[in-house]
Amino acid sequence: METKPANVPPLNRRQFLRSSLRVAAMTGVGAVMGRLAGRTATRGTVWQIDPARCLRCGQCATECVLAQSAVKCVHTHAICGYCELCTSYFVPEPNALNTGAENQLCPTAAIRRKYVEDPYYEYTIDEDLCIGCGKCVEGCNRFGNGSLYLQIRHNHCLNCNECSIARVCAGDAIHRVPADHPYLLKTTVSH
Amino acid sequence: MKRRANTFVAGIGSWLATQAVALAEQRFPPPDFESGYKLPITQTPAPRAEWLAWLDVVVLLAALGFACHLIFRRRSRPGLVGLSLFSLVYFGFYRKGCICAIGAVQNVTLALCDRSYALPLTVLVFALAPIVLSLVVGRAFCAAVCPHGALQDLVLIKPSKVPAWLEHGLGIVPYLYLGAGLLFAATGSAFLVCRYDPFVPLFRLSGSFWMLTAGAAFVALGMFVGRPYCRFLCPYGALLRVGATLARWRVRVTPDYCTQCRLCEHSCPFGAMREPTPAAAQPADRRRLGWLVVLLPVLVLGGVWLGRALSVPLSHLDPNVALAEKLLGPKKAAPPAGVQTPESLALTRAQDNAKDVLAAAVEARARFATASRWFGGWVGLVIGLKLIGLTMRPSRADYEPDRGACFGCARCFSYCPSERVRVGLQPLAPAAGPAAPGPAVAQAKTT
Amino acid sequence: MKNPSAGSRITRRRWLRQGVRHAAVLGLAGSAVIQNRRQARAADNTAPNPFAYDVSRLEKTDPKLVRFAETRRFHCPQPDPRRLTLGPDGNLFVAARDAVAVLDPTGTLVRELTFAGPARCVAVAADGTTFVGLRDHVELFDAGGQRIAAWDSPGRKAWLTGLAVGDQGDLFAADSGNRLVWRYNRSGKVLGRLGEKNPQRDIAGFILPSPYLDVAWHKDGLLRVNNPGRHRVEVYTRDGDLELTWGKASMGIDGFCGCCNPIAVALMPDGRYVTCEKGLPRVKIYREHGDFDCVVAGPELFPQNARIGAGEEAADGARAALDAAVDAHGRVFVLDTITGDIRLMEPKA
Repeated sequence: METKPANVPPLNRRQFLRSSLRVAAMTGVGAVMGRLAGRTATRGTVWQIDPARCLRCGQCATECVLAQSAVKCVHTHAICGYCELCTSYFVPEPNALNTGAENQLCPTAAIRRKYVEDPYYEYTIDEDLCIGCGKCVEGCNRFGNGSLYLQIRHNHCLNCNECSIARVCAGDAIHRVPADHPYLLKTTVSH
Repeated sequence: MKRRANTFVAGIGSWLATQAVALAEQRFPPPDFESGYKLPITQTPAPRAEWLAWLDVVVLLAALGFACHLIFRRRSRPGLVGLSLFSLVYFGFYRKGCICAIGAVQNVTLALCDRSYALPLTVLVFALAPIVLSLVVGRAFCAAVCPHGALQDLVLIKPSKVPAWLEHGLGIVPYLYLGAGLLFAATGSAFLVCRYDPFVPLFRLSGSFWMLTAGAAFVALGMFVGRPYCRFLCPYGALLRVGATLARWRVRVTPDYCTQCRLCEHSCPFGAMREPTPAAAQPADRRRLGWLVVLLPVLVLGGVWLGRALSVPLSHLDPNVALAEKLLGPKKAAPPAGVQTPESLALTRAQDNAKDVLAAAVEARARFATASRWFGGWVGLVIGLKLIGLTMRPSRADYEPDRGACFGCARCFSYCPSERVRVGLQPLAPAAGPAAPGPAVAQAKTT
Repeated sequence: MKNPSAGSRITRRRWLRQGVRHAAVLGLAGSAVIQNRRQARAADNTAPNPFAYDVSRLEKTDPKLVRFAETRRFHCPQPDPRRLTLGPDGNLFVAARDAVAVLDPTGTLVRELTFAGPARCVAVAADGTTFVGLRDHVELFDAGGQRIAAWDSPGRKAWLTGLAVGDQGDLFAADSGNRLVWRYNRSGKVLGRLGEKNPQRDIAGFILPSPYLDVAWHKDGLLRVNNPGRHRVEVYTRDGDLELTWGKASMGIDGFCGCCNPIAVALMPDGRYVTCEKGLPRVKIYREHGDFDCVVAGPELFPQNARIGAGEEAADGARAALDAAVDAHGRVFVLDTITGDIRLMEPKA
């Protein structure tokens, strides 16, 4: 439909330069793809905290780009002692061993304490309330068995290219792991 | 951002270690529950499914294709608005702006420089598909597929003209930002483009105060200045600009050929419309051009020298280097006992692993020594080429948008009478009388 | 052709001038932002953790309560020491990873008994027979270090963490896994089970969140056993009758801190108890009926143990513990399982 005006030359220096640079650019892109083709990962990766390196610096709660951090406390019940006086649930010197708010260590009361049988109590984390501050993790590690620890929960984590918590992690504990093994759960502690 | 060499090893190693410990040393048995209580299993919510990442790639390629179709075949602005909305919703609010082509190019750079980093294929496609497309048809990605561009395009109410000197001055910022972003990505120390992206916090609806404010500022600015991020900051836009300049096909205002009616002269809200200019270059210009071409290698070498000088300060952005500096630096007063700050925790950890921390920092410094030279040379090259570009006067016969600056938004189409005739908004001009100028007009559709 | 007016025409000179001005502005703004960001980040990093679990005031002991001073310190030659006991000739027996190290009171290595797995506890009879508790069974060595016997494992969940030699040739083995104390005779036959949960005998049972059950035998014929989950020490006859219990849970100096303490119990020649705790690593003395007497060593002496126990270093905090043994003169040897140091604490003048 379009007819070129008669006074335009068929090919000028500019067009030639453009064509050759374009071919060069395409070749470059192709070379990049070729060089990287052998090194691409078939599976993706996600961020995760290594509980052995976590120092409970508290930045997981404040540095995540999400308003409520994607880091939550996680409990491996097989390691837990089920103590009545749980040092991750209670403040160091509680008034009484009950669920009173003044006795609880967690700033958002995210740990649920349930009586199992004498004298054992089950402690579970309510992830909707947990902010990933690590206070209970510290209490559990210090006095207890270390069955509570922080993990990045992948139903919340956006898998940012650069994790803003990893950037400032005091223990250098956050690294990428394969997406089909997205958690570094504690299965035991070495007694 | 940490060295990729450590990530897989650390992750798999820790996981294997926990498995090995579990096998080798039996776990101390939990209490005997008499009431038949069963230990709960720790929940492990899975991350986003793998196939969804490929779905993103398919949507990207489909959107790119559709954008080309809308710009070149249908020539439809409403269509592009619709596609922009879709991209904003899908790549912006649904995917929360990540994965994006702008950031993906950093990953590609890291993969090229670090053998141990395995780049996901989806990221490679995201980074390269829009560039390849730009070499063929121009900035179709920017037109309606990039969520950042879509957001700015959709909020543009009253575009104002940016003065030419400001436009040219700020025009090199994307290239400098690209260089800086790739510098830090190549050394494996940071993904700056991700960290300082102003729109992603808006898509996520959460983020640090300063980034949210910056995003809101860009959106507010974008209501009165066309696409400020795309024109003056986007590092990927710098690459697409180069690609589009070399493209095989280009966006044309008129579906026909240009009658020089000048109605489209002020139609581009992004300052991309160019006037026809005479072909002949002045002798003085040629001489200046000659000098500038000679000056170019000087600028590049000067840049390399400057880059080398800046290598050490730039390396502070690497977390290993920063930690090593703190470790070796003057000892600050220890915090009062019991009040541990994250910094003191990190320092204690560094003191216990001093050898490893220092070795990593030395390695990072070495990478920066090379990379900052490249960056310095790049800065020199950009400035030199900009000066050359200002001296060159491309000859144009028609009113047409600048290849590199045109986003393909299709706003200028409706200004052209030939286009209006094509879509039937106005009838064909009456048959030419003796005084009528211009060559014959091709047959056009009539309603 | 439209001729752009001179004012809006870009010349290189004009562009350079404007460019330099604007580059300066950009540079200033950019560096200001970078400085601000860096300071903000540095400030965050140096601000105290608002979610810190702070027990720092409990780590300081009132000096008036401390009645022992360190007179000597030596290092266990084997890694990962766990329990400490004294032999009849005053030698120290330290159960460590893959070996029991025998040291003389000056810290020189006398002998080593090696094993395939970690030795968790050790006891020495008056004739020099050495009983070593590996995780699930006991092995015997004579005074010269030759292996005499290896007993069968008492059960599937056996996890031996304490040994004490009785006065009738019997051996008491504290089994944290099965939550009881086995009473063996010299040939390895199980004579009885002490401390098992038994409402008829008024025995509540041992609560063991972690394997730190310990036993100590005194010449008055009664066996002392710690019950960490209940924060108390229990006293049994050799037949398993519970005589008395004492102890309370408290972070304060007079109670047992945390969720499961004391982790070790030893006896002074006059029958006073020497208890060790983890979490707030401290060694204390209680009088016969559980009244707090004094502090042997407070948390100030074990900073690394406390740090690792709190997980502030990347080592496994579950292994941070103390053990104590008392010689015939009332001097207390304290083992730090993290540093491997053995401190000799003597009563202050």
